[in-house]
Amino acid sequence: MRSTALKVAAGLGALSLALSFTQVASAAGKLQDVLSRGKLVVGTGSTNPPWHFRDESGELVGFDIDVAKIIAKGLFDDDTKIEFVNQASDARIPNIVTDKVDISCQFITVTAARAQQVAFTVPYYREGVSLMMVAGGKYPDYAALKAAGNAVTVSVLQNVFAEGMVKAALPDAKVDQFESVDLMYQALNSGRADAAATDTSSLAYYMKQNEGRYVDSGFSWNPQTYACIVKQGDPDWLNFVNVALRESMTGTTFPMYKKAYEHWFGTSPSEPTIGFPAEFR
Amino acid sequence: MNYTLHFGAVWASFDHLLGGLAIGLALAVAAVAVGTVLGLLSAFASVSKSRLLRGISGTYVLLIRNIPLLVLVLLVYFALPATGIRLDKYESFIGSLALYAGAYLTEVFRAGLLSVPKGIVEAGRAIGLTRMQTNLSVVMPVMLRNSLPSLGNTFIGMFKDSSIAAAIAIPELTFEARKINVDTFRVVETWTVASGLYIAACFTIAALLRRLERRFPKF
Amino acid sequence: MDAFLAQLWIARWPIFDGFLMTLGISAGTIVFGTILGCIVGIQLVFAPLWLRLPFRAYVDIMRGTPLLVLILAAFYIPAVLGLSLSAAQAGTLALGLFAGAHIGELLRGSLQAIPPGQIEAGRSIGLTFPQILANVLLPQALRTSLPPWINTGVELIKGSSLLSMIGVGELLLKTQEVIGRNFMTIQFYVFAGVLYLVVNIALDMLGKSMERRLGARQ
Repeated sequence: MRSTALKVAAGLGALSLALSFTQVASAAGKLQDVLSRGKLVVGTGSTNPPWHFRDESGELVGFDIDVAKIIAKGLFDDDTKIEFVNQASDARIPNIVTDKVDISCQFITVTAARAQQVAFTVPYYREGVSLMMVAGGKYPDYAALKAAGNAVTVSVLQNVFAEGMVKAALPDAKVDQFESVDLMYQALNSGRADAAATDTSSLAYYMKQNEGRYVDSGFSWNPQTYACIVKQGDPDWLNFVNVALRESMTGTTFPMYKKAYEHWFGTSPSEPTIGFPAEFR
Repeated sequence: MNYTLHFGAVWASFDHLLGGLAIGLALAVAAVAVGTVLGLLSAFASVSKSRLLRGISGTYVLLIRNIPLLVLVLLVYFALPATGIRLDKYESFIGSLALYAGAYLTEVFRAGLLSVPKGIVEAGRAIGLTRMQTNLSVVMPVMLRNSLPSLGNTFIGMFKDSSIAAAIAIPELTFEARKINVDTFRVVETWTVASGLYIAACFTIAALLRRLERRFPKF
Repeated sequence: MDAFLAQLWIARWPIFDGFLMTLGISAGTIVFGTILGCIVGIQLVFAPLWLRLPFRAYVDIMRGTPLLVLILAAFYIPAVLGLSLSAAQAGTLALGLFAGAHIGELLRGSLQAIPPGQIEAGRSIGLTFPQILANVLLPQALRTSLPPWINTGVELIKGSSLLSMIGVGELLLKTQEVIGRNFMTIQFYVFAGVLYLVVNIALDMLGKSMERRLGARQ
């Protein structure tokens, strides 16, 4: 029995040694760590097109992925030097706080509550909710939907806020909640619903996949801002990421951002104005 | 290792955890209630003379016991609406868990049926009861009493499995714990308290069941 | 159906990878869990009270907590303590600790079912306790534990599907990735379900046939 006790003690000793070793890193700051490591570790998901998902060859693609590539390009002049860590939505903040990843880009909505725990970068997209109808159908646009009052049925993904979300735009419409995206679109295609309401980006992507079959109502609401997150307390790292992201929307690397935006959303972002830097207005 | 324990943030949301625990218990009670009916039907089918009934019961148990509960839950949740049956997430989860419980209870009740002494069945028939009457008023009570411990274990198992309801955003204990975990990042405290609540609930249920068993003598 | 088969063909490698990951993690955890379970089972029966209590507590904690909670805890807690585990490592740890408790409890039951007279008999012919354990007790206990041990394997394969919730690319997550792209929700969930069934039913039948053979021998 004594030998068992010794083994237990030895095991605990080894464990505490391992624990103390992992604390060494990051004295020089995250930026230097990443540069000397030679690759960027990015937390993101894998099941949400057009943000982060696997294409037919199993490759991770999407707008979040392209945003991460913009940052890697700024670090190493090579957008392939990234290791993606797959994480569930609720692991986004924990993985940052515990240094499992350098940065997370996973359609993270900026909120003041989250900003207490992590540092947000500058935003790279503003999400909303939009309505989509079958092209050539009864209701050509938002005004027609609204005028039709309770004759309109809107299909929407099931969640607690779904009903209120639709009513904010179409107060009299009937709301039909569905459990998955395919069922929501099926309801629209089969005529059970007159319009589908979901994230503007998802609709844009779906419409691009099915060119000409659907029309956008032309009305979007429910704004929310997407940004990447990094750990608090390292201003140099945050500043670096901010510069890389901001310049991709306003400066030298705009072509990268533009290409990604057009590829995933099917429309072009407005060009940066030459002259006064408008983002400071 | 500079992590200091602060349970304050978790205690602040303790009522949410307790509410989640109550939802988990309610899900388990509903699922075991429906599952008991399924299990009884399936257990009687499994000992019947009809090959068809035995086959149906056997297939049901084989399929359900060998598929991950999470896959079953997602399938019921996503697939049923496509066939025109619209259930909300509570109904669909209770349905999935009941299917699961039913398969386990089939085996529990089957063992219970086989444990009923032949003598008392014959005694029942001898005093002029029909086969149905014998099953209902002689076999069932004895079988249920003999199955009580396993029935209790299945209930505890289903209560633990109610945690999977978190996957379809039912606000039970695990869901609430994940939420506190993300909101406050008191990781160690959150999971210690959540796990402690589950364990306490399991032990309480087990203790209550033992008292129940003592109240009724075994045959 | 044709559309599904076309999509399945496109997705064959990711799904195959996920399937291998499921099998790999399950195999890894059953090995880890069995080693741990042997230690736990022996301690639960033969250790002095002060050593038995922590093992008892470990088993009760593992058996009283839902597997999903164990997985989430193993994913989040080591990180804040400075131990960097990948999602797959954390998941394997949780499943392994879970399996260790269950297998330990199995072995405890089997060991206690052996008549104590055998230990005395072993002592009387001059065997030391480790010798009795290795040559007399364990061979019998392991044999009676075999069918439920296989059943634990089925539980682990099923339980590994929960790792999809912490981002481990096993069968269920790979399936969800495919569904995220082509929206064929029902078809691909059914397909994943069938894969799980094939493996688990094969194991289930193996367990049942062993049970029969062992039963026949006694």
